[in-house]
Parts: sequence; C-alpha cells; structure tokens
Amino acid sequence: MNMAIVEEKRTVSEQAIDLEVNGEAHRLSVQPQWTLLHVLQEKLGLTGTKEFCGEGACGACTVIMDGRPVLSCMMLAIECSGKTIETVEGIAKANHPLIEAYIKHSCMQCGFCTPGFVVTAKALLDRNPNPTVDEIKEAMVGNLCRCGTYPAHIKAIQEAAAVLKVTAPTGGARP
Amino acid sequence: MTGDEKQRMLELFDNKRADKYPRETYDVIGKRGVRRTDGYEKASGAAKYTVDVQLPGMLYGRFLTSPHPHAEIVSMDTSAAEKLPGVRCVLRYDDPELQNEESLGGHELNSVMPLPRVAYFQGEEVGAFAVADSEAIAEDALRLIKVEWKQRPFVLDVEKAQEPGAPLSNPENNPESNMDTRGIYMEGHGDVAKGFAEADKILEFKYTFGLNTWAGPERPCGVWRWNGEFAEVWVKQQRPHICKRAISTWFGGLAMNKIDVHCLYQGASFGGWSQMAWNLGGTYCAAVVAKRVNRPVKWLFNRREDFYGSNMDAGVFYIKVGAKLDGTITAVEERGVVVNQAMPVFGIAKHFLENTRVHHVHGRTEAVWVNKGPTVPTRCEQNSNCYSLDLVTNRVAEALGLDPVEVALKNDGAEGHDIDWLNERKAELGFPVTDSLRVCVEKGKAAIGWDEKRHPAGAKKLPNGKMHGLGFTWTHEWDDSAGTSEIGMYVERNDGTVTIFGCRGDGGQNAETAYCQIAADELGFRMEDVRFKHQDDAGFFTMTPDTSTNLSVNGWATRHAARMLRQKLLEAAIAPRGVTQLTSFPPAFPGKRAEELDIKDGVIFEKANPANRMTVADFVGPSGAQGPLMSPVGEPILAGKEGLDYPIRFTPPMFEHGWQVQRGTYLGVRLRFCRQAHFMEVEVDPETGEVDVIKVVTVNDVGKVINWDGCEGQAYGGAIMGVGRGRTEEVVYDQRTGIMLNGNLLNYKIPTLMDVGEVETILVESGMGYGPYGTVGIGEDVATVVPALISPAVHNAIGTWVEGFPITPDRVLKALGKA
Ligand code: FES
Ligand code: FES
Repeated sequence: MNMAIVEEKRTVSEQAIDLEVNGEAHRLSVQPQWTLLHVLQEKLGLTGTKEFCGEGACGACTVIMDGRPVLSCMMLAIECSGKTIETVEGIAKANHPLIEAYIKHSCMQCGFCTPGFVVTAKALLDRNPNPTVDEIKEAMVGNLCRCGTYPAHIKAIQEAAAVLKVTAPTGGARP
Repeated sequence: MTGDEKQRMLELFDNKRADKYPRETYDVIGKRGVRRTDGYEKASGAAKYTVDVQLPGMLYGRFLTSPHPHAEIVSMDTSAAEKLPGVRCVLRYDDPELQNEESLGGHELNSVMPLPRVAYFQGEEVGAFAVADSEAIAEDALRLIKVEWKQRPFVLDVEKAQEPGAPLSNPENNPESNMDTRGIYMEGHGDVAKGFAEADKILEFKYTFGLNTWAGPERPCGVWRWNGEFAEVWVKQQRPHICKRAISTWFGGLAMNKIDVHCLYQGASFGGWSQMAWNLGGTYCAAVVAKRVNRPVKWLFNRREDFYGSNMDAGVFYIKVGAKLDGTITAVEERGVVVNQAMPVFGIAKHFLENTRVHHVHGRTEAVWVNKGPTVPTRCEQNSNCYSLDLVTNRVAEALGLDPVEVALKNDGAEGHDIDWLNERKAELGFPVTDSLRVCVEKGKAAIGWDEKRHPAGAKKLPNGKMHGLGFTWTHEWDDSAGTSEIGMYVERNDGTVTIFGCRGDGGQNAETAYCQIAADELGFRMEDVRFKHQDDAGFFTMTPDTSTNLSVNGWATRHAARMLRQKLLEAAIAPRGVTQLTSFPPAFPGKRAEELDIKDGVIFEKANPANRMTVADFVGPSGAQGPLMSPVGEPILAGKEGLDYPIRFTPPMFEHGWQVQRGTYLGVRLRFCRQAHFMEVEVDPETGEVDVIKVVTVNDVGKVINWDGCEGQAYGGAIMGVGRGRTEEVVYDQRTGIMLNGNLLNYKIPTLMDVGEVETILVESGMGYGPYGTVGIGEDVATVVPALISPAVHNAIGTWVEGFPITPDRVLKALGKA
C-alpha cells in the first residue's frame, strides 16, 4: 500500500447515522469502514459484544437487528442507519430469563463467548418460543466456544423457554 | 520406589492422614447448584477483559511481523509511517532504548529482546511497533514501513530438520545443528533389555503429532499507563504476579510498590499464551511509548498472530513395547523428538513410571527447532505421556487379542509396583483405599455399553455404511500441587461480609466460587456473604491456575486463611473489647472460652446455649462510628490486658503450600492414587475418511468435588476440546514458502456444538487426592487425555492404525490405502 491510498482512505469523510440501541436513540458520526461491532464497543462502550474471530465464523459479536440475529463484525455501521439493535446489555437489563438460566446451568467458563450465545439464544426464543433440542442446536451451531461449554447451553435455553411459557401463557414471543 | 524412598516419604508426611483436618460435615462444599460468583457478569456482558479496557487518551499499538519464515532486517525506512496522520510513534528495533534483553515472560522468566531484528518464523513480531490513535491507523502505518529483508534458508519438517546438513533454523541459538543439546531429557527405571527378554511379544511403532493451538477467544493484548512515576498495567495473563516480578526489573528497576497490576477476566488461552517467552514484549514496548507520548497505550495481536504459538505435543515418537501373553507389559522404551519447546523439555514415558507396574521403562526426549512458532504447555505439558500410555495399552491389547480395559487393569500400579502394593501405601498414608481405576472403568463401561457393543476391529459396518468403533483410554489424575500460594481474607465492617483477596488470572474453571465455598464452610458464613476479589494487585503471589492447582494449592491457602480468621473472631468474641478514650466495653461473650462458641450463617453463638448469639455484623460494628470495637479514629483494635494485640478483621496474607511441596514429596516420591478412564464411540466413513464422534464418556476420580459445575465443566469442556485436537485441529504451514496457511477460525477447525456427540461426565469421589478434603486438579487432564482416545476408537472401526494425529480424513484414507 502506498501513502496516497492510505491518505485517501483517511480523508473520506465521516457520515452521520441513527441507531436505536437497547431502546436508546443515538446519532453517531462514523467512518465508512467501521464495523457495527467497532461502533458498539468503541463509541457506545458496549463491550459485552465480543470479537473472537473477526470474520463471521464464531458468533461472539452477535446482536439482534430489527429482530434478527446478525454478526456485527460483518456489518458496516453506515449500513445500519435507522436500525433497531439489541445487545446483550439490553437483554440483561430487561431481565430476560436466559440470564438466570445461563448462570444456573453454568454456561460460561472463561465467558468470552457467552454474550454471543445469549444474544443468539434470545433471537431464537423470540421467533420460536418452544424450540426442540435439534432446533436449539441448529440455531446455536454458529456460536463457537473454545472452553467447550456447549452441553450447558441446551439445558439453559430449554429452561428459559419454560420460564417464558409461564410468564407469557399465550406462548407468544415477548416484545 | 526403594525402601529408603518410602521411608522418606512417610517421614515427610507429618502424620499418616493425607488431610489432617477433614471436615465432618459440609454445607456448601460439594453441594450442587451453587451459583457461580462470575455468572451474572459473564452472562450479561458486564465482565471486562483486558481487550475491553478503554482509557481516556489511549493509543493503540501493533507490531510488524515477518513475511518470511527465517529472515533478518538489513534496513528499514519508517518515515512514511511516521508521517501518517494519527500515528504517534513508530518504535524501531535499532532504538537506543531497546538494545538490551529484558525479562519478558515465559515458563521461567526469560531474557529476550523486546523488538528483535531477526525472525525465526513467518509471523514473528520483529522490527517495528507502530502506535496510533486507532488500531486501524497503526495497521496502515505498518503497511507503509519499507523493510529490506535478508532471507535465510529455513526448515519446517521435524524429521528433515534432524538430517545432517539441514538448514539451520536458528543459528544464533543453535549454531551446530537444529537439535537443542540442552534439551535432552531421560527418565526410567529397571533394565529395558531384560524386560524385552522376558516378553512373549514385542511391538514397535511410531506416531506423529502436528501442531495444534489454544485459539483463545480474547486476542493477546495489554495496556500500560504511567500515572506519574507509578506504572498501571493491565495484563492478559494467567500469572499476574509473575508478570509484576518481570516488570519490576525493567527501566533500571521499578519498585514493586509502584506497580499496579490489573488482571481482568481472561478470554482463555489455557496456559498457552501465559507460557510464551516474549508474552510481555508488547507490554514493554507499550511502556516505552507511553512514557514518550505521555498517553496510555494498548497493544494487540490480530487473530492470525495468536495462531503462531502452539501446543507442545508436536513431534515424532518411537515406541517399543514388550508384553507377556496375558497382557503384562514387561518393558517400554520410548524416544521422542519434540518441536520448538519453549520450556524445559519434558519426559514422555512418565505415565508408565507414575501409573503402572511396568518394571522396565526408559524414555528419552530430544528437542528440535524448526522455523515455526514456539510450543508451550496448552492445557498441559503431558500430552505425549497420555498418547504413549493410550497407544501402548491399546496396541498391546490388539496384538494379544485382549480387552484394553483388562490390559490397563493388569498393569495399573505405580513406580514399578502393582496395585496391591499401591493400595497398601494408600492405607499407610491414611487415605481411604479404593481401587480407583477399577471403579472408573466399571462406570465408564456401563455408560458407553462396552460389553454389549464391543467387537473385533474393523468388524462392524452400520446400515449407514459407516464403520463403528469403540475406544478406551486411561491414566492418573492431575494432583500436581506444585507451587505455593498466599490468600488474604477479612471481614468487612458494617455488614460482616467476607472478602477474600489475591490476584490471579481467571481461566473460567469457576475456581473463585469454589474458594468462596471453602471459606463459607470453614468460617461458618453464608455463601452469598463471601466474595473473592481476584482482579487487582494484592501485593503477594496467589497461585495461578497453572498445573491444575486451583484447588490443590489455593484450596489449602483459602482453608488455612478461613480457619485462622474464624479462630480470631472467636478469640476476639471472648476478649474485652475496644478501649476508646471514652470508655471500654466488656467482652461480647463474657466468661466463655473460644471453644464454647461457634459461627453459623454469620452468627456467633454459644454452642450450649444458641440463644446467646450475636451477628458478626453487629460484632465488627460500623465503620467510622464509635462503638464497642472502635477506636476514636475508626480503627478496629483489641487492646487491654487480656485482649489481643491485632485487629480482628484482617487476616494477613496466608502463606500456604500445596501438600506435596509442603511435605517435600513433589519432587521424586509422589504416588498417584486417583485414576481417570475415558471411552469413545465413533463412526468412520470408509469412503471419505471422516470420523463422527457419537459419544464420549469421561470418568474422573476427582477425590472430592468442591464445585460440581466446575468439575463437570472441565470434564465435558475438556472432552470437547480434546476431540478437536485429536480429530481436526492442526496449524498448517506451506512447505514451500514457510507461511502459515490457516491462522483463522474458518480454516483451523475447533469443534462446534454439532461436532462432538453426547458427552457423559461421571465423577468419582474416592477422597484419595492430595488437595484439601482429598481433592485433585481437573483443569488440564481431560483435554490432554482425550485426543489420544480417538486413535483406538478409529482403529476399532477400520481395523488399522492411523499413524498421525490429528486423525483427519486424509490420514484415515491413507491408513485404509485409499490415498
Ligand atoms: S467476531 Fe463476528 S463472527 Fe466472530
Ligand atoms: S466460555 Fe470460554 S470461549 Fe466459551
């Protein structure tokens, strides 16, 4: 790479975007090459969203965008303007039963991957409040855990689903 | 073991009980469902890791890495990089401040150059460290650096590196050949020639193991901030106090009390990163730059750079074994050539010495250096020992038409003696006598369905066209109570809760919860009233998670501290209390002796009259206010004629050794009593060579469970990592260019949730561990033992041995003659 390319990259102007994150509106000025992950961590201080692989292979950076789980390391922040985003911090703040279930079943060892699992599981329960074991596995297979905590997650997600059923007797997804 | 050694061992134990002071009852120790102390932080995203640290004005540093497997820098032009807007400093290898070797980490503290000029592997950090306003700008700066490299010849292959005339991989350190002459390790007992003469059958085989790595989820990183003349350092390390020891030698010497170390949660590297010889190189360079630019500096590796350090099981191993027709092994002779070991070379025949009755054993480990990254203990250094015991047990069984479980049981023992001898020693030392291996294999066999499903090798084709196989392996438990530890503990004013302190890296084993359980039971406090603060410098060394010593060393120290604190509370409760300028107060329990009191749920009470009670919170009183225990300045004192002359609430750091160190038995004469046995069921596709792991059963005699979630988590987590290491994980280098090909998580395959079938975890509690309450360690072992288990399982499926690990489809097809 030569200086000209580097300088050209640097001089591209920042753009304003609007993000709603965990129910709060933010207007942010971002550079075009910034990922959503970078913005969440460095601009909003939401370091619960983690980077493990940095290239779409591990799920540690998962957030829920407009109701769907997405990999924030693979999204450019400028493409996310106008989106509604939920991170692990928002899920915890809302006292989602997944959090207690995750603690109870000891789903974390080093814990670095754990937020990504919680977010992916939340997205699963939002769209399927009654997942079978196979459905859980299918939903979670993109989340890597180097410590090998996998068996615990299945139990915790089933338990959180059961708790949700009691708190939302119609079986519908919670907002 | 000779008679003399045995005598020495018995003398070294100061009585005949393994644990002199076991508890009669347990409340939270060993209870299921104890809530993890780190659970909410980790589940909610609140847990902070070093990589998350953000400080006002913080800069970001990245290292230049070598594009060549072996090369030196002739010249370097950093002017364009320095001019890039946002770049604050480019540190160069020829900087006057970087010309000395410094203590920069490693298993033992090594002195190495912070920013070397010569690279011995592609990807090595050399030549320059660019610091900028963002990580991306630092990256761009590195791309603008022009380097004139002088490439050198390189060698990657273990066997080629040993040939005469092979290119020298590191002529500065090994000028004669690639063999590291300081690295020869020999061990054994008996006379192997005699043992082979006694054998009915002699087998010889070789196996190889490729490089695998920890692939830790948090990138290596660190942060340095100068607060005036005080250094504040965030280390991603599991040995924070050893880092501080190294840091204190820098810059002409920094006083220990001017260094503040923070060791936040660790995105685990399973020992690996913390053992690397240069792992504080980034922190050193960050410190130099932070001083020059007067801003905090965070340095980081990228994902790929973390892949260059590997586990030390890589190498080539030659084994000769003799056995009688009944499966009694008469001799084992091994030679191993291990790769790039960045710690003292370790034995490979140890588990035959520690674990079997085999009379004649000889092991020789040699070390060779090739142009790949360093290898360090990851999970454990005993991988090759586990593979050797596994393969010898199973190959002997196959050659003699025996069940490998029976071969293991027949040869179980220690130091050349059989199991009856070992059982006598257990009794002598006061341990409950259990035939641990027999218990483990019976449970494991039942769980996997060994007797029903077992079949001759290569004999069972399933309806899906795949070949079915069952495998078994075994070894001893990890009761490596090496090291010493200090733990501090005190009762907080106002509410009487308890704080345990000691700085240690959290590897995720849930050890902190276990320490709180021990303290709660020993003190008589409620579990929720005890907290372990482990992330900040405590000024003393608390044992790291290394060598599975979370409980076997720190468990002792915690227990010791808790018992002392409890005793102090009870003694204080009967003594005349705080003398203030205004008045003095009578004892809380006048006329009583300490033995007449007890503490339960944080309440001190008289055993004979439980209604005579006082909460610990009331007893220690509020902070800052005058009260029975307070001096006018708020200091807790216990003065007076019959009083005590120390404050009650604070226990000074306790210095406590692990049992073996304490008794001198760690080196030389330690008998392993607890065993583990693992079973695996696989299906192998003979067309593609793919191995599906259907079920793994792990059975560990952990001695005593303190924390169930922790023990089971290490067992199933270790099994999953073990399957990855044995089956798919290998760091691959291009033989032609020496460039690493798969330094990322797409191409280096760690197991996903779908890759390992059912894992059943069984724990046995024989009480025969050397740790407090009879515990052993469990963090290292399952992940270290399980990779080898794939080999006999695949052999049972396809009827032929796959020589190399990991057992990837191409190696299976090669074994089947199809590739
Ligand atoms: S960090 Fe985004 S998928 Fe791995
Ligand atoms: S808990 Fe360590 S990576 Fe999952």
